Amino acid sequence: MSSEKKLIVPHALFPSRPGAAGEKKLVVAHAPYWHDGSKISTKNYHIMLAALPAVLMGISQYGAPAVGVIALSMACAMIWELVWNLLLRRPHSIGDGSAAATGLLLGMLMPATAPWWVVALGTFIAIVVGKQIFGGIGFNPLNPPLLALAMLVISFKGIFDFDEALRHYDLGFAMSYPLGQVKYFGTAAIDKFSVGGLLMGQQAGAVGSTFGLGLIIGGLYLIIRGYIRWEIPLSFLVGVFVTALIFNLSDPAKYAGPFFHLFAGYTLIAAFFLAPEDSSSPANFIPMLIFGALAGLMTVLIRNIGAYVDGVPFSILLMNLANPLLDKIRPKAIGKVVENA
Amino acid sequence: MTSKNEQMLAFALAAVLLIIGVVCYAAFPVKTPEEPVRLMFKTTAGSILFDHKTHTSDAGYAIACDDCHHEGDEPTACGECHEADSDVKRPDAFHKQCKDCHEDSEAGPVECSACHVMK
Repeated sequence: MSSEKKLIVPHALFPSRPGAAGEKKLVVAHAPYWHDGSKISTKNYHIMLAALPAVLMGISQYGAPAVGVIALSMACAMIWELVWNLLLRRPHSIGDGSAAATGLLLGMLMPATAPWWVVALGTFIAIVVGKQIFGGIGFNPLNPPLLALAMLVISFKGIFDFDEALRHYDLGFAMSYPLGQVKYFGTAAIDKFSVGGLLMGQQAGAVGSTFGLGLIIGGLYLIIRGYIRWEIPLSFLVGVFVTALIFNLSDPAKYAGPFFHLFAGYTLIAAFFLAPEDSSSPANFIPMLIFGALAGLMTVLIRNIGAYVDGVPFSILLMNLANPLLDKIRPKAIGKVVENA
Repeated sequence: MTSKNEQMLAFALAAVLLIIGVVCYAAFPVKTPEEPVRLMFKTTAGSILFDHKTHTSDAGYAIACDDCHHEGDEPTACGECHEADSDVKRPDAFHKQCKDCHEDSEAGPVECSACHVMK
């Protein structure tokens, strides 16, 4: 047993059993362990449940075409994952609900008018290019729905131009795309959007990303249930708020205020459903705060002075790339390894 | 690894959603309204989003159809007559129609960048 290593931990952090005073050992029982019942599939179905209010609002606004986008996106995502499993002769993994959740989130990011082939292509990019190529669930360095969205937005500008895509819809409120209005015409063009209206989904946009209140409720549910951590959503929203405030103070006629940026475009769905995705975001406290804040900052930078109307997909993907580096900022391991103890 | 039940649930979900998706796309395509709500004009000088409904509805500016659609009994699309080789080309027709009206009524944009957007 001379080669065995023991982990010595400080007494105060891991108080040892009564009567064992002075003993500085972390005692861990050996197998068999008792599974606490949590599963990956449970988490993914809870994410889908949390997204439901925003999805239902989108469906109530855009009707059957919105149902078509969401349903086809989820189905295609699961089918691509199954096809990939069959091609590589790996165990079927669609039971974990990850593909369905990815499909749902991608569908929520698309306009209700997205053609079927864009949905099929987008889900292929998300599932195969974004996730399976890297080894499947837990190995993706980038957020799969955002990777697909970014590639689609760059490739098919017209389809993701909400002003053009939704030109046939009249839903009883100002139907021009808020972020496009402020980018091209300044803040005078966004007087018609109230913060309350934006929060209640009275804005043109993607199927599941316009109902701010629903997204916030869904996000809080996920935080309370412990499926996402609060650090990334909060720091992302603070990053968006502070950056938008600085721009707004510098030129109020050109740059919209912080509340507009919080509730318009993809901000809230990104904060609660995209940025905190497990494998593409940091796990430590300080890195999570940096990740969220910088993603928020870059979102507003791209919106205000960048080439794209909404910076969400690009800012988060860029921070996804920085994720492994960010996670190096972590507390020093407690205790020390004693050789030949 | 996922359990058999979870896999069966996922297979069923995928099948049902595929059917719903295909039915929605096939049977309920996005309808083009008889009278346009908004129009997106694409030009070499950028895109122009024109709110047709606001210009024509009584709650909006209540402009009569034949104020703009000046030929024929039924309104026809502007580009059907105003083509690249017409006497009055499409950009000239639009500029005259839109800007003149905005200037006469002292309302609405007249600056290029207030309509034209380079996306």
